[in-house]
Amino acid sequence: MKKLYDILSLQFELADFESKRSDLAFCKVKASQAISLLTHLRDIHGYTHLVMLTCVDWLEDKQFQLTYLLHNYATKTDLGILVFIDRDHPVMDSLHHLWKQGRVYQRELHEMFGIDFPGSPGVEEPMILEGWQGPPPMRRDFDTKAYSDETYSHRPRVQNEPEQHMKEQLYSED
Amino acid sequence: MENLYPPIVDGKSVYDLNSQKYLKMWHGPQHPGVTGNMSLELDICGDQVIKCNTHVGYLHRGFEKLMERRRYINCFPIVCRICVPEPDTNEYLFAAAMEDLMGIEIPERAKWLRTLNLELSRLASFLMWIGGQSGAFGMGTVAQWTMAHRDFVLDLFEEWTGARIYHMYTIPGGVRGDLPEGWDKRAEKTIAAVHKLLDEINYVMLNNAIFKQRAVGLGVITPEMVDAYGVVGPNARCCGLQRDIRKDQPYLIYDQLDFIIETETAGDAYSRTVVRWKEMYQSIALIRQILAKMPRSGALHATLPNVLHLKIPKGQTYLRAESTRGEYGYFMVSDGSAFPRKVTVRGPSYTHAMALLEDLAVGVNIADLPGLMVSLHTYPPEIER
Amino acid sequence: MNLRDILSPFFVWKRAFEKPYSINTLSAPRPGAPAYRGFHKNDVSKCIGCGTCAEICQNVSIEMVPVATAKDGDSGLRPKIDYGRCCWCALCVDICPSGSLTMSNAYTWVEEGLDKDVRDTFCYTPGVDSKPWDNEPLGYKKPDGYELLLLDRIPMPHLSPEERLSSFVELVKGYSRELAIREADRCIQCGICTATCPAHMNIPAYIKAIREDNIAAGLQILYDTNPLPGVCGRICTRLCEDVCALSHRGDAISIRWLKRYLTDCVEAEDYKDILKTEIKPLGKKVGIIGSGPGGLSAAYYLANMGYEVDIFEKTAAAGGMLRYGIPEYRLPYDKIDKDIDFITSLGVKIHYNTCVGKDISFDDIYKRYDAVFISTGLFEPYFIGIKGEDNEGVISGLKLLSDVTEGKEVSLGKHVVVVGGGNVAMDAARTARRLGSEVTILYRRRDEDMPADREEIDEAYEENVTFITQAIPLEINKLADNRLEFIWGKAEMHFEEGAKRPQPVLIEGSRETLVADTIIAAIGQGMNFAWMDGEAFANIKFGKWNIDADRWGRSSDQKIFIGGDMFNRTADAITAIADGHRSARAIDKLLNQ
Repeated sequence: MKKLYDILSLQFELADFESKRSDLAFCKVKASQAISLLTHLRDIHGYTHLVMLTCVDWLEDKQFQLTYLLHNYATKTDLGILVFIDRDHPVMDSLHHLWKQGRVYQRELHEMFGIDFPGSPGVEEPMILEGWQGPPPMRRDFDTKAYSDETYSHRPRVQNEPEQHMKEQLYSED
Repeated sequence: MENLYPPIVDGKSVYDLNSQKYLKMWHGPQHPGVTGNMSLELDICGDQVIKCNTHVGYLHRGFEKLMERRRYINCFPIVCRICVPEPDTNEYLFAAAMEDLMGIEIPERAKWLRTLNLELSRLASFLMWIGGQSGAFGMGTVAQWTMAHRDFVLDLFEEWTGARIYHMYTIPGGVRGDLPEGWDKRAEKTIAAVHKLLDEINYVMLNNAIFKQRAVGLGVITPEMVDAYGVVGPNARCCGLQRDIRKDQPYLIYDQLDFIIETETAGDAYSRTVVRWKEMYQSIALIRQILAKMPRSGALHATLPNVLHLKIPKGQTYLRAESTRGEYGYFMVSDGSAFPRKVTVRGPSYTHAMALLEDLAVGVNIADLPGLMVSLHTYPPEIER
Repeated sequence: MNLRDILSPFFVWKRAFEKPYSINTLSAPRPGAPAYRGFHKNDVSKCIGCGTCAEICQNVSIEMVPVATAKDGDSGLRPKIDYGRCCWCALCVDICPSGSLTMSNAYTWVEEGLDKDVRDTFCYTPGVDSKPWDNEPLGYKKPDGYELLLLDRIPMPHLSPEERLSSFVELVKGYSRELAIREADRCIQCGICTATCPAHMNIPAYIKAIREDNIAAGLQILYDTNPLPGVCGRICTRLCEDVCALSHRGDAISIRWLKRYLTDCVEAEDYKDILKTEIKPLGKKVGIIGSGPGGLSAAYYLANMGYEVDIFEKTAAAGGMLRYGIPEYRLPYDKIDKDIDFITSLGVKIHYNTCVGKDISFDDIYKRYDAVFISTGLFEPYFIGIKGEDNEGVISGLKLLSDVTEGKEVSLGKHVVVVGGGNVAMDAARTARRLGSEVTILYRRRDEDMPADREEIDEAYEENVTFITQAIPLEINKLADNRLEFIWGKAEMHFEEGAKRPQPVLIEGSRETLVADTIIAAIGQGMNFAWMDGEAFANIKFGKWNIDADRWGRSSDQKIFIGGDMFNRTADAITAIADGHRSARAIDKLLNQ
């Protein structure tokens, strides 16, 4: 995997190569080069299978980590391409022309994280959350607990902590 | 048929619904087939589908989001719910991803029991799928038989793990408990019954004129489509590709077991059915092999740090396993805290039921659409984790 | 399509005559599998209400509710389970530290009465609310071979018995950082221990600080309730560990060793920075009699509140029993000094070699100070009460221990007999072993009845101390060669109803003999008030054997407070510390509010 990384480094600005297992590695690439790197990997290096595309919200760093995971059926190895994009203006090039399922992933990321993929067919159509008014719910600053407390009513309950309860019962005067 | 299709302008088909030549129709969301809640928005002309849009979201429970605010051990009881017919793949992958990030090696016996658990759940899942496949083509009787046999397999699970559907057996670090006394014998009795049923299914379904008439040539997947659409599992094997994660990247103890990758070449619904039918024989053989070879003593569970304060070192990993529908994967990111930063579930249905189905459905007779859907063996909760 | 495809389905026509798969569950209910995860059962007599089930429940379906019965080491809470939320994952059963929570294999429950309170619909407290499946023997129990809790204690490195006997070096080596964090990781943070600890130390919080490697925060938590943590980290009687939730199925957390780890991690000169003591003087004075743990504890908290504190100590060094009653191999003197030095650095003055009643009168102290805290402890050894006890060569355990502390020359001879089964007896016996003697311990009851710490008894065995149990001393005679003849008789145990321990009764005519050079009596100590005088003494009301005082240590004279061994029943350091802290707050209430 390191070899492949070294070869690719000649053409692309890669960074942070991390070999997780002998058959799985991750590396970072600049957002502007990501799609051409993916095309290159698919057409030249046999990474023909797009396993998944997902996003990790690094709220503290104000970044989204897009992860394109590619699989090579010949060498049976996986390469995860990490692309960091600005969380406040999340726009990324689309890969719908490379893999047919790409547009579905991008539609989901648009809905769940609010990332725009200009040119991806139907990217703005709601996928799962028809009629959703709130912010993109998979972002880390969307608090599901607060949302559910506001939206639904709960069966009333009292949680007694053993330590506190024993203090009240046994030695509250101290 | 060609002239039925509306003209295409700027890459979009343009037609007038008021012309009364076309009809818009909703298929679902209440169980089209038996695969779960999902809806197909169809444009039809006569009884021919000319456009299909899939709509998901009826089963969205936000598992990935839920996991972000739960301790690792508390994620364990919810991951199985991502796939009802075959929950064990989720349990295994979640546990394995955790173990991979923590660098924990599980005991040998736990590996065998996990494998047994996975194979048995594959068998149960396939039995449910046959029910759907036959039911979609009007053969409800076969569905009754297979669902009953699935329940016999669930009886085995109930006795072994304490639950029928959500077994919650593969816990991070190992497994929860051993096989009960005499379980092997009852398992053998059940899988022998399933074996007999499969032989009969050969007569009643695979060599049935009606089934053949409708399934042959339905929804053909060509080898070129496989990678372009991200097709995996039996759907890829039905067009001749020798791909099976259990062989390609063996996990647990699959490298010590003897089995072959079943393939067909036609790529249609019928060959997918045959591939799965043959795989069930493989599963039965695998279960027998595991029971024969399995070590009967040794530890079941590796010692984990206290699960209530468990923190996983920063890192990310991806693990995959072969489910009945193909590649199932867990991508887990840890930021070093007690909660997973992100768990992405890669369900095989994601690619099969959305992009692939939308394209395969075009030109299909509306009566065959459930059969097509089931033949892809899709399961919506995997899409909307 | 061919003819075969049309005919082949008919091949299975015979299925029409087979028995149907379905079963009639109305006429014959189908029970769950033997290990089915059904509705919960709870053995409430075993349950300790630690709330770990509620902690691990990912659905928040467990609510801890108060019930009437509570035993020792039991919070009095019991899990109430909401079946609208429960997902039957049984993690609560797997993690239950007492093993009380299980599941039945019942899976049907029809709730009657829709007029029920919404809080009780499909909710019940297993074991408290009766259900049809309460006595169902089948159902899910935690399977063998798999454990979520870490039941085994991280072993503490010790000196070997051979190394121990050659010196008075501390025999417990202490946890390293890695071991301490692993031990702290075992804690489930239920907080049952906090209630049992006489000082109510916030044990879960400082264990959490260790786990997170935040030593400074841990030390601050210790000093909130205990100003002698270095001492308690070594010799505490650790009542907390007896009730530790993990002790029910495994080893209790080494709470004591973890406390010791925290204090060992911090150098004496860093205490001031970490504990950030800011003292605003109030201009009031408190006198304390006795510098044992009770007096030191009261002094620390009073000094922190801004009082001027003077301690009167009759010996040359502070610490009381900590210094003179506990051998160095258990509690090294420099560790006592470390804790005491921090207390004196706050401005507490200790007047050494000042015996109240001799060097200064009690009345004098009473008049000079705004309040007086008395914690003189138990310093009068009891006698065995047999003939020949006044012979030379019969000494008390306490005398031996304090002589060793003071560095006096002690010669015990070759053979030593120790009478007693408490900690002082063990300490005296093991000290004698280190001085080169052969030691035999005589105890009236059985081995398991000994009041000493089990650990001390086991260590005494390891150090080759001989134990004779169920032995009643009869008389001591001086032999011609100046040695002592010790005569004792065998006892049998009589069990009386309601008594905590059985009573030893001498077997008629039994008479055994031991020859010893020294006989050490270590059967307990009492107090005396001969040093008290003046008008205050006249004001104080005495009870049967002690000064009358309320739970805050307030005597009938509002200026006089008591604490420590002379006040409480457990007579250990941590209770004395708790007394000191409690009385300090009562004194503050008296003088400042």
